[in-house]
Amino acid sequence: MEVTATRVSALLVALLLPAFAFAQPRPSFVAQPGRTVAVSLPSSLLDEREVKKQISSGLTTTFLLSAQARESDRRGAARVEVRFDLWDEVWLVRRIEFDGKEERQRLASRDALDKWWRVPVRLFAANADRVALRVTLSVLPFSIAEGEDARQWIAKSGGLGTPGGGSPLVTALIGTTLDAKPIRAYHWNAEVAFR
Amino acid sequence: MNRARSLAATLVAIAGATLLFWLLVHQISGLWLDVALRPEVREALEQSLNDQKRLRAFDDEHRDAYRRRFENTNLLLRRLEVIRLNRAEMQQRFELTLLALFVAGAAVAATWISLRARKAQARERREYLDRVATLQETARRQAHEIKGPLTAARLELERLGDGVRRGAPQNDVLAAGESIAEELERLARFTRGFASFAAIGTPVLRPLSLRAVVEEFCATFGNAWPGLTLQWSGGDARVCADGDLLRQVLVNLCTNSARAVEGNGGGAVTFAIARANAPVALDVSDSGAGIPESLRARIFDPYVTTRRMGEGMGLGLSISRKIMLDHGGDLQLVATSAAGTTFRLVFGDAECS
Repeated sequence: MEVTATRVSALLVALLLPAFAFAQPRPSFVAQPGRTVAVSLPSSLLDEREVKKQISSGLTTTFLLSAQARESDRRGAARVEVRFDLWDEVWLVRRIEFDGKEERQRLASRDALDKWWRVPVRLFAANADRVALRVTLSVLPFSIAEGEDARQWIAKSGGLGTPGGGSPLVTALIGTTLDAKPIRAYHWNAEVAFR
Repeated sequence: MNRARSLAATLVAIAGATLLFWLLVHQISGLWLDVALRPEVREALEQSLNDQKRLRAFDDEHRDAYRRRFENTNLLLRRLEVIRLNRAEMQQRFELTLLALFVAGAAVAATWISLRARKAQARERREYLDRVATLQETARRQAHEIKGPLTAARLELERLGDGVRRGAPQNDVLAAGESIAEELERLARFTRGFASFAAIGTPVLRPLSLRAVVEEFCATFGNAWPGLTLQWSGGDARVCADGDLLRQVLVNLCTNSARAVEGNGGGAVTFAIARANAPVALDVSDSGAGIPESLRARIFDPYVTTRRMGEGMGLGLSISRKIMLDHGGDLQLVATSAAGTTFRLVFGDAECS
């Protein structure tokens, strides 16, 4: 059977196209002074269908970053919160890095959000000149406080609730189900070298 | 084998009920969530948010009020969004919790039913054995009651035959004949007792004064039972009753009382109005030795008696209660102890004939 170059090209395109189409947004990992690994998240992540819908819902979307060293037990984590204030139409954002350093911003536009979003988030403190990491990003649709508020509201709405803490029955039935389960999760491998 | 089959049937019933319950719950559990999460609800709330924002542009004076309304609506919207995001888990938890409660409840109910069935079975067995024991005792008493006069009559007949053959004096022959007649009379009395039990008449209810009935009874039967004094404590009440049958009840009670006070060298029966208004009640109390505890629960059953063999069949209280029940009332054992016994005649609300 004679296989032409055109046919091979077409086959390759057909095989690779889905891979490109479903490719995950890829962050860039940055080595910072003090053997600190920071991650710069791509703006395209905020444009993912589910994420885009969630961040503009009025609820606090939490981006939970966790890093695990491949060759040791060292771990690191950081959190980014994004909420769109529907009244003032501004973005309320918060970033908490691995060492507890917190930053809050009130951003007036989506462009400003994109710019702020790309600023690297310090995630991990290494103890060697080179580190290989397994990084996970979970997108949680609402905060713990918002979940608790909804739980209390349901418990009281059941007609069985008490002003203090809600009905034990309703709480038992649905209270423990109001978890902020990730609407998306991303996994990346990274290798960072420090000079 | 039966227990295993019963257990399997119970388990199948629980499983079937659980499946049906789950299907029902599954059909309805998501309903309330669906109502709250209908897209129209969300759209209306979002429209309300937009309206409040537009209004602030036109009416800056009430900006704070619009803001408050906006925040309230927004809070509601956010809560609904949290619920929407957890809808599947909430419904699942709701169904599982109800299912667990149902299964637990069914298991408790099945255990309870099984225990009750076992208890009922044990009670039935006990009652059956009691009935058999009563029948055995009755048969013994009947045999004794019949055997006594028959044996005596047979012996007298033999004596009479001997006397006739020997040409005994006429007085001896006559005495033997009288003795046979006495024994036959004992047999006749015995059968009359059964006949009266079988043929208790339907009461003909007439308006009566209990005082008049009891006073007449005391006057007529005052000396009927040696060692027993009849006392009327006063008062009165009107009832609809059959005077003859009522007298029979009082006779039966007093006959028992007479035997109960025998050991004390005599005693008294007191009649007293316990309740003058409907339902009227008359207490008949004696100062006898009381009824043994083992007999109290069955005291109104036929053939239950404290008397020795040959002294009665234990039908008196049974007949008396039947008479009172026929009156629409009852005969109750109110109290009994070593100091005495009180029976209560309760008259129902039956109307006079």
